Amino acid sequence: MSEDKNSEKRKASQKRLSRRDFLVAGGTVVAVDALIATTPAKGIAATAPAAAGTSYPASKGYLVYDSKKCAGCTTCMLSCSLVHYGVQNPSRSRIQIMQDSWGKFPNDIKMSPCRQCVAPVCVQNCPVGAAFVDTANGNVRRINSNKCIGCKTCIKMCPQQPHRPVWVVINGTGKSSKCDLCIDSPYWDEKGGPGGKQACVEACPMMAIKFVSQTPDQEQTEGYDVNLRNDHWINLGLVDNSTVVPTKSLEWKVGGGE
Amino acid sequence: MTGGYTGKILRVNLTTKAISTIATSKYEEFGGGHGIGSAVFFDLVGDQLPFEAFDPRNLIIMMASPFSGTFMPGSGRCEVQGLGPMLYPIEWFGHSNFGGRFTAQLKFAGWDGIVVEGASAEPVWINIVNDKVKIESAKGIWGMDTWDTQEEISRRVIPSLRYGEWAELAENCFTTQIPAVVCCGPAGENKSRLGCLLHGPGSQAALCGFGGVFGSKKLKAISAIGSGDVPIADPKAFMKARLWFRQFQWNVDNPRDADKFEGGGPYSLISGRPSGGNVLNREMPLIPARAAACASCPRGCRMRLASGDSNESVCAGTMVINVDGSMKFTRQGNDLMQRFGLGHWQLMPLMSYVQSLAREGVLGKGKQVDTNLPLDQAGTFGYAEALMRQIALRQGIGNDLAEGCARFAEKIGRYKQDVNSGTLSLAYWGTANHYDPAIEAEWGFGSLLGERDLMLHMMSNYPIHWMAWSGSPYLTAEECAKLYTDAMEPYQGDVFMVDHSDGPTGIYSDSKVKQVAWIKHYEKFWVGAGGFCGWRWPMCITNNTADRRGPTPQAEPKFWNAVTGKNLTFADYMEVGHKIYTLDRSIWVLQGRHRNMEVFPDYIYDRPSRGHDMTMYIDGKWKYDKGVGRKLDRAKVEDFKTKFYKFEGYNPENGYPTRQTLEKMNLRKVADALKSKNKLG
Repeated sequence: MSEDKNSEKRKASQKRLSRRDFLVAGGTVVAVDALIATTPAKGIAATAPAAAGTSYPASKGYLVYDSKKCAGCTTCMLSCSLVHYGVQNPSRSRIQIMQDSWGKFPNDIKMSPCRQCVAPVCVQNCPVGAAFVDTANGNVRRINSNKCIGCKTCIKMCPQQPHRPVWVVINGTGKSSKCDLCIDSPYWDEKGGPGGKQACVEACPMMAIKFVSQTPDQEQTEGYDVNLRNDHWINLGLVDNSTVVPTKSLEWKVGGGE
Repeated sequence: MTGGYTGKILRVNLTTKAISTIATSKYEEFGGGHGIGSAVFFDLVGDQLPFEAFDPRNLIIMMASPFSGTFMPGSGRCEVQGLGPMLYPIEWFGHSNFGGRFTAQLKFAGWDGIVVEGASAEPVWINIVNDKVKIESAKGIWGMDTWDTQEEISRRVIPSLRYGEWAELAENCFTTQIPAVVCCGPAGENKSRLGCLLHGPGSQAALCGFGGVFGSKKLKAISAIGSGDVPIADPKAFMKARLWFRQFQWNVDNPRDADKFEGGGPYSLISGRPSGGNVLNREMPLIPARAAACASCPRGCRMRLASGDSNESVCAGTMVINVDGSMKFTRQGNDLMQRFGLGHWQLMPLMSYVQSLAREGVLGKGKQVDTNLPLDQAGTFGYAEALMRQIALRQGIGNDLAEGCARFAEKIGRYKQDVNSGTLSLAYWGTANHYDPAIEAEWGFGSLLGERDLMLHMMSNYPIHWMAWSGSPYLTAEECAKLYTDAMEPYQGDVFMVDHSDGPTGIYSDSKVKQVAWIKHYEKFWVGAGGFCGWRWPMCITNNTADRRGPTPQAEPKFWNAVTGKNLTFADYMEVGHKIYTLDRSIWVLQGRHRNMEVFPDYIYDRPSRGHDMTMYIDGKWKYDKGVGRKLDRAKVEDFKTKFYKFEGYNPENGYPTRQTLEKMNLRKVADALKSKNKLG
């Protein structure tokens, strides 16, 4: 496991968060007052958060996705839990795919990988520095489970819905975890992180998840939810607009039946 | 048990309301799924056979496999077993299965399967949240259609559930997933033999009439949701295998030979490409849609549409109701079938039979078979709705139709006449004719020597049938025969296994015996015990590789061993399949099966075939040929059966398994049970 020593040295006592500060991310405005008030661990609020306005180097890697291309097979979720924990369990997955079987396309699926936020609220508010920016590995926003005290602050602070930090039980103890772009994937013989491979990207049969190094638009959901389809997809008869006509006929060339 | 299993099977007695567990390890030798289900059935009620499907002693067994809840491609189907009320003339110990995500959630909840016994006095449903299991009242749910049932039960399981958010199932247990519910509809509640089980909007366990068994037990539904782990024996090997498998998938961004395999035509069925299973969104303008997959399936043969209809239905689930001139109402008509909980594969021949009788003047208002059905409106949504409603609610003629094709025909005194003439197009044990047994003999024999229509589409006839029929096969007949049979371990090398001629190496040959045995063993282990999808496995040939070889037989043991930690070969597992088939056959024998019963209706023998393009070895050469006009030869079929029984270790005089065969398979107690009934081969 490679950790950012500089980040680890960031002392909780150095962090301060104004009670008047508000977090603004992804179109969601969250009052910090209320969030800290709901933090379950006692006595930590005063020790931790980084100063408002603290800036972090941007991650050198992001996962973008195409929610119209996703088929909901959840292979990405199971790949994630496998390479990180050696088991298959969607509740441990750092990417969540939710679907409503009766829903109407495209609102029947929601894909929720971690955004590796430019302003990482999880890192900013972790009271013990367990959430950190891994400057040794492309500035990926990570959580050191050995340091995590299970206060769930990162979970409660994450402005995304569903929250991207994931609660997992390790050896009987609850911890937060989050997408590390597969930097620490002990059950996979591949190098992860920026410049490496990500299990969800590699395993997705629809090629609906992609690693990019350019920072997506932070203000709009569409910055991460992109179009990864080409004409081959349209020729399957899968369009997102009824005015689109595949270049190849979908009719049967010969008649008959079973 | 190191990987793949959670270690326990849930046992629920609806009569006593007792909830207990069975250790999965007790049945590990049967693999999982169908294998364990058969063994549990034999142990719990084998000594009480025969009895009827609606008897409270009947079991509903719903088994997952070691692959359920994992990303094993095309696995995770739920195997349902028990006495099947729609099977005929005896309600055989049958099986059906459905896709979706039920077994995945069952495994995450910590269960390898469910055994339901007894019958409740009041309507109930079973609520599984991790290791917490409750028998809940179905008050307010009984009477609902299948879709409303699932919605209401999800709401009751997790009242705080919001789509797109985390929900807390229990302390420290979170999920973003919604409960997986399988239920019967009004048809099942009313003990219709056409009653299916439905999960999601369109995933049916259609065959056997298990919806009716749910109804007979006053069991409306089973819900499962979990947040636990599925252990994997060798995670690195499993991940490596999964990524290795990508070469066999349809490459959605850059498919191999796209010009040939894209667009319409039969390749939409057999190429492994997404969304091809729903036939109701091919007309312009297309309705915006996505490919929708069952848990862990890399194909995604289903669709979810912007219109919200026809979601997740495929194949027969989109083909039974046809509303003239309206694709929209055709989709909604088929959806109505799902909501009533009517099994598509039984409803299809029944609707044809009703029309046939009406044309003949036998059925109609004031006719011999009196009905107020609006027969003059056939082809409309209104007619389809009226017919399905009457069957599901047992109203009017629906009370008799709910007994299924065979028993309805018997009741009006026409069974023998109509099934032998082909007016009633049943072929095997009350299930509809499918592929032509005179040409695609392995399908026919595989069904006849089973207990229902084979319904295993990727067995040899299907990919060959549609490839040849496309008019543009990607393999010559000779290449196809070689590649296909190369994959058929342990009988590889016998190319005549896929000879569909009626010559000396064709459909009555020793080679065909081996092929049918291979199919039954693959059916019982890989499909049955492994939860494989019959639209995905086996894959002996594929258009997605340069050399056209599929992943079979490399993939199956590669994945199974990585998940479970075992180290067996493909052939080893096929022998387990042989064992499971032999156990199933023994149960059928205890119910009354004899070789004399294993015959097709007369029309299968006597009606000349229309022919189908298949691989045939004629005059010393391989070719795709049709076999038009061919008739099955009764004597040769009987000779084939004799050879098959001997090959499998059964007594050719009666088809009963022998003690020697059973003991070799560690099934001594089964031999003893047959002996006690004087039915040992």
